Amino acid sequence: MQPEKFYYDNKIVRNFGIATVIWGIIGMTVGLIIAIQLYAPGMNMNNQYTTYGRIRPLHTNAVIFAFVGNAIFMGVYYSLQRLLKARMYSDWLSKIHFWGWQLIIVSAVITLPLGFTTSHEYAELEWPIDIAITLIWVVFGVNMFGTILKRRERHLYVAIWFYIATFVTIAVLHIVNSMELPISAWKSYYIYAGVQDALVQWWYGHNAVAFFLTTPYLGMMYYFLPKMANRPIYSYKLSILHFWALIFIYIWAGPHHLLYTTLPGWAQSLGIAFSIMLIAPSWGGMINGLLTLRGAWDKVRDDVVLKFMVVGLTAYGMATFEGPMLSLKQVNGFAHFSDWIIAHVHVGALGWNGFLTFAILYWVIPRIYKTELFSKKLSAFHFWIGTLGILFYAIPMYWAGFTQSLMLKEFTAEGMLKYPNFLETTLQILPMHMMRSAGGAMYLLGVIVMAYNLARTMMQGSLVANEAAQAMPLAPANTVVKENSWHRTLERKPIQMMIAALLVILVGTFVELMPTLTIKSNIPTIASVKPYTPLELQGRDLYIREGCSNCHSQTVRPFRSETERYGEYSKAGEFVYDHPFLWGSKRTGPDLAREGQKYGNAWHYNHLMDPRLMSPGSIMPNYDWLISQTLDTTTTRSKINAMRTLGVPYALGYEDKANRDLDDQAKGIADNLAKDHIKVKPSKEIIAIIAYLQRLGTDIKANKTNNK
Amino acid sequence: MKYARIVLMCLFVGITYTTSADGLIPADLQNYIAYGAIVTMLLLIVVAMLVLLKAFNVITMVTLRSQGYTAAQIQAEMHPPKKIKKPKGEVWNKLLSLRPMAEEKELLIEHDYDGIQELDNPIPGWFMYLFYATIIFAVGYLLNYHVFHTGQLQYEEYKTEMAQADIAKKLYLSKAANQVDENTVKLVNDPTVIAAGQAIFMQNCKPCHGEHAEGNVGPNLTDDFWLHGGKINDLFKTIKYGVLAKGMPTWEKQLSPKQIADVANYVKSLHGTHPAGAKEPQGTKETVADEKLASTK
Repeated sequence: MQPEKFYYDNKIVRNFGIATVIWGIIGMTVGLIIAIQLYAPGMNMNNQYTTYGRIRPLHTNAVIFAFVGNAIFMGVYYSLQRLLKARMYSDWLSKIHFWGWQLIIVSAVITLPLGFTTSHEYAELEWPIDIAITLIWVVFGVNMFGTILKRRERHLYVAIWFYIATFVTIAVLHIVNSMELPISAWKSYYIYAGVQDALVQWWYGHNAVAFFLTTPYLGMMYYFLPKMANRPIYSYKLSILHFWALIFIYIWAGPHHLLYTTLPGWAQSLGIAFSIMLIAPSWGGMINGLLTLRGAWDKVRDDVVLKFMVVGLTAYGMATFEGPMLSLKQVNGFAHFSDWIIAHVHVGALGWNGFLTFAILYWVIPRIYKTELFSKKLSAFHFWIGTLGILFYAIPMYWAGFTQSLMLKEFTAEGMLKYPNFLETTLQILPMHMMRSAGGAMYLLGVIVMAYNLARTMMQGSLVANEAAQAMPLAPANTVVKENSWHRTLERKPIQMMIAALLVILVGTFVELMPTLTIKSNIPTIASVKPYTPLELQGRDLYIREGCSNCHSQTVRPFRSETERYGEYSKAGEFVYDHPFLWGSKRTGPDLAREGQKYGNAWHYNHLMDPRLMSPGSIMPNYDWLISQTLDTTTTRSKINAMRTLGVPYALGYEDKANRDLDDQAKGIADNLAKDHIKVKPSKEIIAIIAYLQRLGTDIKANKTNNK
Repeated sequence: MKYARIVLMCLFVGITYTTSADGLIPADLQNYIAYGAIVTMLLLIVVAMLVLLKAFNVITMVTLRSQGYTAAQIQAEMHPPKKIKKPKGEVWNKLLSLRPMAEEKELLIEHDYDGIQELDNPIPGWFMYLFYATIIFAVGYLLNYHVFHTGQLQYEEYKTEMAQADIAKKLYLSKAANQVDENTVKLVNDPTVIAAGQAIFMQNCKPCHGEHAEGNVGPNLTDDFWLHGGKINDLFKTIKYGVLAKGMPTWEKQLSPKQIADVANYVKSLHGTHPAGAKEPQGTKETVADEKLASTK
């Protein structure tokens, strides 16, 4: 047999690489801006399109799906071709994939500041973009499997197992968590409500971390680390064990994001138990990586690429140990909603995803440009400023988290909250937030230096768009070969492997989602909980548009420190009409689940206009545009209809009367405000959002002892 | 030496026993004496060991000399050359149950992927133990909370927490003197009370009632007009429970009874101050003449 000659497509790798760097800088800059807004709310430039609630999702989407996403595709397109000894299946699909993905990101950059959001964290993009993501993901899958099928290498290497698991699981996650009922081009409601919606969202959110930020990066680590260090992978057996254990166990752990909420206790406990079991499988990747460096540690001293890899792997190890610890309910009760979590995710994001990405960029770009890196000194500078940046970011955030949680839970001897005013705890941690933004700025500076370094590298070399390679063609698939293990056999069969991975992740999915989604008794209903009035419903959508849930939770946990501060703890039955749920995951400001009727309408009006009037020192931005903008009531009809379709008991034909009720209620609030010399037309948006805020948590105030 | 220690021990025990019986030395001090005694004892042991070591050295030297060794020979006997150090990293390898690098060739799996080879190393034992341990923990966790019900789930936990807090609170309040309520609150003009009340006012009331209580979102508190009564008891009640319909929040959870009394007294002290920009009167006119000052303590 003659060896076959073919060419690797380097251009697509280069394109994804450039996109990684550009979106990385954009995403991190937005991150820096919102970090500064947390102590200088004026950084939103008094503009609704650049206010925290709207651009915090832009930051998370940009760094996860644009920066990390493009980096994944860069790494996969480079390594897949070489591991399979084949060019990508179709240059056209590669191009569609690349441009499609960039378009999706651009559409996110446009729609999120406009307030088009579903409010599900890391899945904020509205339904048309969800469909686009699905299509592009399928393009990626076809391109990948096409390449696998025409491969010149019989067995699939461990990196590719991880790529396959990534592909199938993200597909499942994205589809299940995008079940929305559209009511217009840029607005939809999730078909699940309350607890069920929360469960689906955090099953998704947790596993987006697992299968977008972890498995593809482990796959890339398995290709690039041995290449960089020129060492064999430490243990093939460990690869097998930790791959299957990781994808099986990870999918169960989602409920640990919902501890002490109204999620059924058994689901919470399962989430905790599986999170603890996740330690070893997660560490398997780190151990296999670090032990692969055995005998190459002297290289780490000189090679900045390996330095990035080592710190990245260590950050991964720290974050994957911290995660299970945070999911223990005793720790979680303290850490959840606090800056501790922000520190935790950034150790993972900046350390693991960021540093691995930088290492791969520094390694790949000179190779596909047939040149040396422009400046080793600059890359060393990047490494050190990046590492320092992570420390300056994480340490103040841990400190802030501990401080604020301790303050919020402290009681005086008289049995009163020591700091009844939430704002006091916020002001206490502002210096830490300032330090954090300095850390973030250092990290960003490093990335900018990298961008310069890589650009100069590209300028001094020239792209080998089609890199020649040769390999022996495969013997026909039906050739009988005696493999020495079942797994070796499975490695020959990509489709079977994909199905196996799919089955493995579906086990946990079904056990956790199905009972809560289908068995009624898991969500006890409460008779006094009624659907929102049309005005409140519109107000709720404004609350979603402004991204209030990025800073305010809406779930009171059964802790003395919370029931004393906010009121009766939340009940599952209170959320049955909440499409989507708005529990939030971070309390930058106080919880709002029982906000209704706590203050007067005038207080809310003044507070929304300028929070510092009512709460001196507050870091909440002004929402004065709510006063000038008129509420769009043409959507009321379709909103009521959509809600009825989803099971909210609005009477048939109510959509015709809804706007009349809306006007009446709005007029009532405007009249009430007029008594306090506040003149505002009932048609303004602020009236709707006040109506919603005044409703929050009031349905069960009357009979609070009757419910579990 | 042994006898010395026993004697010392008896002595300390004797001292502490007699003193505690007499109650002459406070418990704290007794503790310090005991710590001191323990530390002294440990120091004594160290000194004794050093002395013994020196003694053995001297004895060895003397015996060797008596057997006719020269000074150089004695030195060689006393300080034998150190054993060759183990190769670096061996302990580490053992600890992590890793095969030495030299054996790596045997472990290489023939196959390679784009030049990447894999080793057929076994999964490190400690890794498996870690994995098993977490599985055992997870099973135990579920059994604890859902089968044997030995652990409390969140709502039981909450009940326990509240019950404990209740006991602690009652205990404290039974001792403390600040159990004021709307029936027992007294009007006073004690400057310390007024100052404390002012501090609370500035922190909590200012946004709605204005810096000088001239009224803003909330009503003017310095005039003769009151929406919910102008007596000290009425003020206390309004602050404590709030008037939700009018936008006055409940302060019961945020301010202690003493603090509510303080701020109510501060507000009373502002009566008739006529601050600039005062809000128009709201509510009914009340004369405060019938209200008497309680004697300041």
